Amino acid sequence: MAGDRESRPGGPDDRGAVQARSVSLEQGFDAGSLYALRSAVAAHAATAGLSPHRVYDVTAVAHELAANAVLHGAGHGRLRLWTRDGSLYCQVSDDGPAEPGDRAAEPAGDPVSWPVVHGHGLWVAGQVADEFRISRGPAGTTTMARFAINAGTGR
Amino acid sequence: MAADAGTQVTELTAEDHACLTFGEAEELFDLTAAFVRDGLAAGLKVVWVSDAGPGPGIAELGRRGVEVQAAIGTGQMTAAGSEGRLVSGQAFRADAAVGWLTGELASSRQQGFPGLRVAVDMSWALRPVAGIEELPRFEEGIAAALSGSTASVLCQYDRERFDPVTLASVAGFHTRSVAAATYHADELLRICRQYAPPGIRIAGELDYQAAGPLALALAEAVRLDGDVTVNMARLAFTDARCTLMVADAARTIASSFRRVTLRCLPEVAAGFARLGLGDVPGIALVTADGR
Repeated sequence: MAGDRESRPGGPDDRGAVQARSVSLEQGFDAGSLYALRSAVAAHAATAGLSPHRVYDVTAVAHELAANAVLHGAGHGRLRLWTRDGSLYCQVSDDGPAEPGDRAAEPAGDPVSWPVVHGHGLWVAGQVADEFRISRGPAGTTTMARFAINAGTGR
Repeated sequence: MAADAGTQVTELTAEDHACLTFGEAEELFDLTAAFVRDGLAAGLKVVWVSDAGPGPGIAELGRRGVEVQAAIGTGQMTAAGSEGRLVSGQAFRADAAVGWLTGELASSRQQGFPGLRVAVDMSWALRPVAGIEELPRFEEGIAAALSGSTASVLCQYDRERFDPVTLASVAGFHTRSVAAATYHADELLRICRQYAPPGIRIAGELDYQAAGPLALALAEAVRLDGDVTVNMARLAFTDARCTLMVADAARTIASSFRRVTLRCLPEVAAGFARLGLGDVPGIALVTADGR
């Protein structure tokens, strides 16, 4: 079962560290481009060698993380997908704080990061990913899900 | 008489000359199944003319719970191709086709049926057929034949394949325009009523942005009498929020001692299973192979 952990700012899952890795997909998104995002994620997950069932899981988790950023953050964000050491990683971060008039209110005392709402979407992400982390830092909030390739579980 | 929009297939009665426009085979078979089912239940003679011949269509109607084979066996129903009835080889004559219909009317009366229902797949008219310019006259002839009768005819046109000019030329001869009640339809998603078996059908990709029409469709499904099917066999994706909405509706229906069938791809079914729906009495999680 995947964990749902929050790491400290500056930890290993920060966006700066990720940018040094080989990223197979990096794509911005907003509410109007979630379908295109899902389509791109599915294509890259299939190319990475995941089973059709796991491709669906990766796509679903990518959607939930992106939708969370759209609904509860600035309304837009970026998704990165890469493979490393037999796993596919999916990272979603927002593009910055919500502008005035954006749909989600910022939490008091934390004006930079978007509030990760622990609703059903993140529950699903924690259920289907092999690892799931949320990290908050000065640059914003980042979620990362890892999926083992050829895990042999058939999930 | 001009066609009126928004008629449900379940509302058709004697003398109705209805124009069904469909966008996909699933919609055609669903509405045809309801038309046939209600006709058989009322004790009427039912004739179904399909362009591809009766074999595949009979199987499709059977899958939707219509006892076609039994009705054919007793003579209450006839399923046939268009050849020899509407067209002869590559030729179409409106008078001959209307003559076939009036013959069916007379035959059903002689057999003692209180009425007749005829469903006609018009796909034959998409082929290069001589005399196709008589199509409006054929529709006009049907309208005349039905006047004062106990029969109804459902003409089925593929709205994606028939050109708008042809559809417009025949529309005026129909008394009703029939299509599936639609809650949402765009390039990515279609949510509509399903008539046989009763429920709703969701196809495409579903996410929170369609929560409004989904809620409306589910609310109407909950209010239906009897068992309910949520047909998601062609639903390629659903997000967590919409999965939860469907699951909540299914639990509500099941709590009133009605059966709910959720028909979906294995990946979508896994989402419902995670919510524990596989173990709820009255809810059947049926996986469909949509590939």
